Amino acid sequence: MTTTRRNLLKFVGGGAAGALLTPAPWRLITDAALWSENWPGIPRPARGEIRARFTHCTLCPAGCAVRARCVNSQPVSLTGVKPHPISYGALCPWGIAGHHLPYHPARVRQGPVKEALAAVARAISQRGAGERVAMLDLRPGRTVSWTYRRAMAAIDHGLYLAPRQPAYSVDLAAAQNVVSFGAPLFDGWGTPGNVFAARANFRLVQIEPVESRTAALADVWLPIRPGTEAAIAAALAGETTIAEAARITGAEEEAIGAVKEALGSGPSVVLAADPASPLMSLNAKFKALGHTLIARREAPVPDAWKKAAPINEMAATPDASIRVLLIDESLPGGYVPWQEIQPKLAPNAVVVVFSSSSEGYARHTQYVLPAPVYPEAVEDVGPAIDTVAAVFRIAAPLIAPTVPVVNPGELVARIAGLPQTDALHDRAGAIHKAGRGTLLSYVDGKSTPMKDVKADDFWKTLNQGGCWMDSTEKKAAPGKLEFRASAQQPHDDLPLAVVAAEARRGGLESPLMSKLERESNLRLSANRVALSPADARANGIENGGRCLLETACGRLSVVATIDAGVPAGVVEVAGGPRMADLCGASPRARVVRA
Amino acid sequence: MTAQKQNRRYGMSIDIDKCNGCGACMMACAVENNIPPAPQAANDRKGITWIRVYKVDNHRAYPERRTAFVPVLCQQCGHDTPCVHVCPQQAVDVDPATGIVGQMPERCLGCRYCMVACPYHARYFNWWDPAWPAGMEKTLNPDVAPRMRGVVEKCNFCHGRWHAAQQKAAAAGQPEIDAADYVPACVEACPTGAIRFGDLNDPSTEVAQDAQRPESFRLLEKIGTEPKIHYRSHRDWVREIAAAPRPEGKDGLRG
Repeated sequence: MTTTRRNLLKFVGGGAAGALLTPAPWRLITDAALWSENWPGIPRPARGEIRARFTHCTLCPAGCAVRARCVNSQPVSLTGVKPHPISYGALCPWGIAGHHLPYHPARVRQGPVKEALAAVARAISQRGAGERVAMLDLRPGRTVSWTYRRAMAAIDHGLYLAPRQPAYSVDLAAAQNVVSFGAPLFDGWGTPGNVFAARANFRLVQIEPVESRTAALADVWLPIRPGTEAAIAAALAGETTIAEAARITGAEEEAIGAVKEALGSGPSVVLAADPASPLMSLNAKFKALGHTLIARREAPVPDAWKKAAPINEMAATPDASIRVLLIDESLPGGYVPWQEIQPKLAPNAVVVVFSSSSEGYARHTQYVLPAPVYPEAVEDVGPAIDTVAAVFRIAAPLIAPTVPVVNPGELVARIAGLPQTDALHDRAGAIHKAGRGTLLSYVDGKSTPMKDVKADDFWKTLNQGGCWMDSTEKKAAPGKLEFRASAQQPHDDLPLAVVAAEARRGGLESPLMSKLERESNLRLSANRVALSPADARANGIENGGRCLLETACGRLSVVATIDAGVPAGVVEVAGGPRMADLCGASPRARVVRA
Repeated sequence: MTAQKQNRRYGMSIDIDKCNGCGACMMACAVENNIPPAPQAANDRKGITWIRVYKVDNHRAYPERRTAFVPVLCQQCGHDTPCVHVCPQQAVDVDPATGIVGQMPERCLGCRYCMVACPYHARYFNWWDPAWPAGMEKTLNPDVAPRMRGVVEKCNFCHGRWHAAQQKAAAAGQPEIDAADYVPACVEACPTGAIRFGDLNDPSTEVAQDAQRPESFRLLEKIGTEPKIHYRSHRDWVREIAAAPRPEGKDGLRG
């Protein structure tokens, strides 16, 4: 064969055409594009003076003390404050990445403020007899909560609504035995640092259907059938036999007997996932009241505030009675499912929500006004359930708001015609005037009795990193404990009990949470559920397959994880507002193949 | 006259019986080391987590199922470090002064031999350009350079903090760093105190004492890489998992 010019051209042309069918040239185009890019390709971290600033985390009621490492004035990392006597230097994963929230791509960045105010004013002037103006506060106990209560007292037929708060605090340090009915003690309950600091001194029995993070580290995990906690409680209270409780719950008789024996052997406390659960009444039986379950005084408030509206629950409000509903969802808190709110609204109700996230009530309301987000907001954080003394701590802002925001407290005060004052400063003045307790400064770690602190220094320290702690008096039993029985309705066509596996409270989460969810599957992401192999098989669902989670309130497309650690008859979900709306008061569901 | 510096052998001890799998260590690591959030297409195989908490179990069904959380990071192999041996670019080295296995992204060509060689799956490849949501790049740590697409990265015991501690010691005229000045982000963040860090060569450190405890173990000890991460658990099944028993019928395999 001779090599001709024609053959050579055919070979080169064929080779070039064939190369186009391989990935190589296309890949080269992408890679070569890197050289023509006129940006550095990777972000360049800003440099500047490095200094520490202090604040408090507002992402949950624990209010952990935070030390922010700042470059110039920009926080670049958050850590705990080691010598703090309540949070002990601990932060949860949400708190560690809290400084990312102002830049979250899903943040609510604008809202119809003027239109909302006009609609509220119109609705207030046109409302019928008996129609009410209500304020729903998802995080009661703050100073701004007092502003809301004062505002509702100033408005004719004003109503202040809040999720029920426990009328007690838990002194974990005084407990030798802790029996927990599903309370997520090691995953979002109370103040993480305080719980872990007390951990070495108590024995934990965790009673719940699934092996949660708390159950995995408990001294004893008592797996029971979902919804049978009351049977165990009855056996522990001596109202029924242990054998009967074992039959109902599926737990072993010896194990229930051991729990009963332990509860009577020393200082004990019984905890429940819902602080208002009737299961908490066991504490009276085991002499926890006044010892491990104690009363806590509230931090002083100015005398003028004491004519505030009382605290009401949404469930106690008559149907179709709310003409104007203002919702403060600026901080994650006790989300009230929309199914509970909707019947209470008048047909032409105006609903305004203050939020930084479009995931919660923003999905249901006409007016969503952008609220400041941690660490932009100036707030105070009330005491958590495991804080035995009253505290006053200010979440001083670390950065200025990155988008135009409205201050919910100021706006509600304006609607009610309250004078515009600095409520936090007023309350600090009342605490200083009371003269009790101590002031801890994070800058130098010094604790000073309040009688030795000047008013200006008190305010300055609170804003620069400090915490007022009330003096601890002799322990007292809490007042009358009120309980709320859960109203679970049977659904024969919904065979699975829904169990929230994660301690999500709603609101924005750092984009870096992908490390714990999508990138590692350490935590269930919002669109995943976990099923037992038996339930998955029965419904033809494969691991990683898409399926529909159906409840009495609706359906949601989710991805299934098959986990032999999940008992049959249970579906584990990630929690959060969307799931709360989907499940409502009756957490039953079925999962079907999509 | 300068004081003779002692070589250190930094290591960790991790109490699995204390780890509640909260993930605070993973978040603190990502914040400290400028690891970007996952792009849309990332999953648990393509994500970057220098420290990853694995949920392991005793392989039994409910209700006998028991779970433990095991944080796994670069094990800082002290003997025949596999990734060092296979790297064609000398982009991986072991610092004799600290014992820390370092990764130099500027040298890395992205061949991923080191990922194949690593017995602990503790190395991660940058499949995408590092990108943060608009504005979030302001929160980057100025002490750590973000890595580019196409290179491998891994835990280096927060080398930025090591440098900062060295600078502080030098400024104070001290020949050695203060141990309190050099603590990796995951150790600092762990709310349960499950992770400890220190010099394994110094018998007075907690981490050196932890390594001698009877319930202490290391991952895949039998392959002889002498990891410097010492785990401990009182639960037998947890220790058995760490040894990765050879599957039945696979006796001819190495490792």
